[in-house]
Amino acid sequence: MDEPLLRIVDVWKSYEDLQVLKGVSFELAERDVKVIFGPSGSGKSTLLRCINMLNPPDSGEIYLRGDNITAPNVDLNAIRTRIGMVFQHFNLFAHLKAIDNVSIGLRRVKGLEKQEARRKALEALNRVRLAEWADHYPAQLSGGQQQRVGIARALAMEPDVILFDEPTSALDPELIGEVLQAMLDIAKAGTTMVVVTHEMGFARAVASEMIFLDDGVVIERGTPEHFSVSPKSKRVKRFLNQLDVLYGSHEKLLKLSEEEEGK
Amino acid sequence: MIFQANLIEELLAVLGYWDRLFSGFLLTMWMYGWALLLGFILGLFLAILRVYGGTIFSGVATGYIEIMRGTPLVAQLFFIFFLPNTLNIPSEMWVIETSFSIFNKEISLKLLDYPIFVGILTLSLNSGAYQAEYLRGSIVSVGAGQLEAAQSLGMSRLSSIRHVVLPQALRRVIPAWSNEAAYLPKYTVLVYFIGGVEELFFQADFIQHKTFFPLTTYIIVSIMFLITITSISKLLEFIHKRTAIPGL
Ligand SMILES: Nc1ncnc2c1ncn2[C@@H]1O[C@H](COP(=O)(O)OP(=O)(O)OP(=O)(O)O)[C@@H](O)[C@H]1O
Ligand SMILES: [Mg+2]
Repeated sequence: MDEPLLRIVDVWKSYEDLQVLKGVSFELAERDVKVIFGPSGSGKSTLLRCINMLNPPDSGEIYLRGDNITAPNVDLNAIRTRIGMVFQHFNLFAHLKAIDNVSIGLRRVKGLEKQEARRKALEALNRVRLAEWADHYPAQLSGGQQQRVGIARALAMEPDVILFDEPTSALDPELIGEVLQAMLDIAKAGTTMVVVTHEMGFARAVASEMIFLDDGVVIERGTPEHFSVSPKSKRVKRFLNQLDVLYGSHEKLLKLSEEEEGK
Repeated sequence: MIFQANLIEELLAVLGYWDRLFSGFLLTMWMYGWALLLGFILGLFLAILRVYGGTIFSGVATGYIEIMRGTPLVAQLFFIFFLPNTLNIPSEMWVIETSFSIFNKEISLKLLDYPIFVGILTLSLNSGAYQAEYLRGSIVSVGAGQLEAAQSLGMSRLSSIRHVVLPQALRRVIPAWSNEAAYLPKYTVLVYFIGGVEELFFQADFIQHKTFFPLTTYIIVSIMFLITITSISKLLEFIHKRTAIPGL
């Protein structure tokens, strides 16, 4: 396949005087899982919000299966049905049951009949192992369950790609596993994903490429092995070290990079 | 003892005009109901403009709201009442009347004529401004994340507002909005000033002139208001509980 599924070309974005993205480019093939990581404020959320045009970039182009979605006169609503989004704080519709959170897009956007929408929504909930929680409201679910509903909501629309913005960073530690597992399952089933996360275990398991973003610029990119074994830039090494201090779950990664430094 | 005897006598005299109290009450509630409903529609429109309208529309809505809330309702009533005359626009209005009888009393009720129209219109325009502020607060409290999540599914802005933001905002607004629902019957009283509207205070004035018992008359009218307003508050409280989102 020649045309990549998603192509980001030289995207710039600023908020007033603050230049947040300074020429970010990358490509994503079908079934790719791209992990983006980097320090707070580096522009990761902004980048995702540019990709689904919630915050259109100031300059640069984004192509989805060859369609330039940054061109003027593009039907953004139609584009967004093809780009799923999973939010850091879940953003479930508080007044709707889990099943209705998942089916609202199918009904209101895709125009499916109630029964058909419900069937598909249940299917999506089943993929994140929440079918039996379908009739619960978000406030009746744990954070981990809520985020899995968020994933099902995106999945149900059968988008070309799903964007994840730190999907586990608002969760208590004991709830992170079930969300990562759900993400792992759908990644292995062939879902194309762009994931902003600092969960290196997840990245190692499924990322086809990782991108380190700092101050709006891609500093380094490579496979998970590359970042485990031989990250080039000092900033990346320092950042991975800090991650380890903060989360304490990346001993292996750290040892390897220290060995590397020791050589 | 004498006082009590008098009180009962006075009560009976005033209540002898129950048909006038009743028809006045109906007209007050009729104007109140329309003003609350039309004010709600206007308020919703203004609130959406204020939150989502961009600089110009939100500015226009804000200006309107500030003017309506910052000037006396009586002035607004007179302004609208005399406006057609000043502009040389004929102000005849189709008159709608109805009559029915209960307990062998014929009660005729004017539902629409020019002063009643002015009353309903002014109260709606005024109440809309207050309701807009309550609605704006509740819309803002729903949070931008809900709208973004809906838009990320491909829902249009309008559809997102209608199906995601408003169902939550309208639930949340009930406690604050009940203030307006409870105050508005009392403001409706001011229509009395433009004259010729046979609402509850017009009738009260008539009765106290006939009976020479102003105190008792206005106590009875006040009790009617108290019962009405308490019932409205209780009803809204009930609705608020019934529509609460489980788990929240
Ligand atoms: N709507 C906005 N208006 C103004 N500034 C913003 C806005 N959104 C983000 N910023 C600023 O842009 C910069 C990049 O923010 P962004 O949320 O993209 O970073 P991030 O990499 O996602 O950080 P985090 O890890 O904390 O989520 C930050 O300095 C932030 O304060
Ligand atoms: Mg972020």
